[in-house]
Amino acid sequence: MTTCFLTGATGLIGRQVVARLLVSPRVERVYALTRRPRVESVGSTHSVHGDVRVDGLGLPADVRDMLAREVTTVVHLAANTEFSQSLEDARTINRDGTLRMLELTADWPNITRWVYVSTAFVAGLRTGLIKENDRVQARGWANAYEQSKAEAEDLVREARPDWVIARSSTVVCDDLSGTISQMNAVHRALRLHFGGLAPMLPGTDASRVDVVTTEYVGRGIALAALARDVARKTFHFCAGAGAMSLDELLEVSHQAFLRAPAWQRKGIARPMRTDLETYRLFEAAVHDAGSSRVRQALRSLSHFVPQLAFPKTFDTRAADALLGETAPPVSAFWQRMTNHLVGNTPAVEAA
Amino acid sequence: MNVRPGISAISYAVPAESRSVRELAAAGSLESDAVLLERFGFERVGVAVEETPYDLALAAASDLLRDHHIDPSSIDALLYAGAPGALAFAKPRDALTAARALCDTRRFEFAATRLQFDLSLDNATVLGLDQLACTAILGAVRMARALCIAEGLERVLCVSSEFYPAAAGREAITNGTSDAACAVLVERNANRNRVVGGVSVTKGFYWSGDRASMRDEIMASYFPTAARVMHRTIASAGWDKAAVNWIMPHNVSATSWDILLRLAGLPNARLWNRNIARIGHTLSGDNFINLRDALDGGAVRAGDKVLVFSYGYGAHWTGLALEA
Repeated sequence: MTTCFLTGATGLIGRQVVARLLVSPRVERVYALTRRPRVESVGSTHSVHGDVRVDGLGLPADVRDMLAREVTTVVHLAANTEFSQSLEDARTINRDGTLRMLELTADWPNITRWVYVSTAFVAGLRTGLIKENDRVQARGWANAYEQSKAEAEDLVREARPDWVIARSSTVVCDDLSGTISQMNAVHRALRLHFGGLAPMLPGTDASRVDVVTTEYVGRGIALAALARDVARKTFHFCAGAGAMSLDELLEVSHQAFLRAPAWQRKGIARPMRTDLETYRLFEAAVHDAGSSRVRQALRSLSHFVPQLAFPKTFDTRAADALLGETAPPVSAFWQRMTNHLVGNTPAVEAA
Repeated sequence: MNVRPGISAISYAVPAESRSVRELAAAGSLESDAVLLERFGFERVGVAVEETPYDLALAAASDLLRDHHIDPSSIDALLYAGAPGALAFAKPRDALTAARALCDTRRFEFAATRLQFDLSLDNATVLGLDQLACTAILGAVRMARALCIAEGLERVLCVSSEFYPAAAGREAITNGTSDAACAVLVERNANRNRVVGGVSVTKGFYWSGDRASMRDEIMASYFPTAARVMHRTIASAGWDKAAVNWIMPHNVSATSWDILLRLAGLPNARLWNRNIARIGHTLSGDNFINLRDALDGGAVRAGDKVLVFSYGYGAHWTGLALEA
């Protein structure tokens, strides 16, 4: 039987993972690290008060001993996923927090699986096909989040013989319904377009937008924690071949917005795709002469959109084999997600 | 007979006085820092002191008729696209007083009609164009071309004269702005500068161009809409992008042109941008002022394909394709 210890269990993906683990007959118990001081137990889930920013996660000795005795599988999800944070801040949780988890669990005798939930974008500014078992050989990163996650991957690979790396693409909605439980930089970019404040995005003919649903990633991570014979494997829980070209994505989004008559009448232009240098010139011009509103909006995207100028396709063969299917293609949920984002009514969505 | 309207003559008039952007900044006439405007390519702008918009309009049109030996009675139509009513006859320092005249019967004192008289355009019908801001002269040329084709007119004189609003300083969204007038003669069968294509897009949502809450949206909309209008203009002429020899700009910031041309996939080396520093942006006819100087200087040669583009408050994006 499996006893799991999860960090980041209260987050968007973490909740999905816990739910998936709990329906498995092989899972006896799930310990979920939470920063909430109260310790709760609901069914087979037990909250454990702690913080990855603190040595030993701040766990009392008795709790630590109990976990050391019982835990067979670690799933380390806790992360700071903000793209705009400084490298120092990103490392605090993403790298150093992982190091603390590794140190804490180093001598727990019953662990047979140590799952690190990473991001597919540890590939950074690399282009082309990114294979799943590629170790990080980034040519720089678009933001500190990517770099700190890459550094953490290295720590896990070096410290554990039983590692599994689960690399997620960017999550944009809960499931195929397109419902959005948590906003991120992708949604902010779309909101800028909707607000008529997005003239251009960097990219190339080959740029593809790889995004996924929480449901898919949660399912993948749970399987990575439970499946046999996956030690020392890396999985890309990504849209992969189902990613949408940037041009198509801009068009689909624009068409979705156009279904709202009030928006259509504004005549807001579809953002153009341009090279990164031009985009940077525009950013600089806005910095020099734009309003604080637009400067702030562009700053919020500056750690995310440059990634579009480094086209890549994520190989998902291992993840597909694990799950027995590919991820839902982006086209299966993007329009519905867009409708949710801008409050299009069901009637508009149906049209 | 195959009608091929084109531009056979251009003249322009600028005020006697000009100011550097640093002088304008010192006088409190700029919103932005002078250094920023200099970085954007601006050095001097023309500032009318003793002239009225009408004075400059008359000067530009008179020069055109004289320099090109045009018999005034051969002009079939006058298209005036400039300062309205009493404002056309006021020096900048009197503009606020003159604006009150727009509320009495002096509103009907029209510069266009007076031009017809002062220039002895005895056979010219008179039309006025308004509300196209910096695209007004392009709109006038489009209309002149249409009149040549539809009504068989031989010669249409387009005149634009605009001063930047007297109480608005000298900066229009980070562009140093000049007072000026421009006159363009469109002939039914011209040997030069044939108008072979044109596209105009108006987006009414952005009608209040200078309202602070709308500036961001206009700035964002400007680039993709401009790039698409330029593409459509090129296509309307049956050209491809590589065939364009020159781009005659409106004299907005060199930086914004750099961004726009990259976005449009057109080479910056083909932008005729020498007047941005010298004159700055005029509301009355940057593109044709530039074309005149480019023709005089020999940069634009017969047969060159010239893409003209301007944006004006309102909000209007207009492109013309000319075969020099």
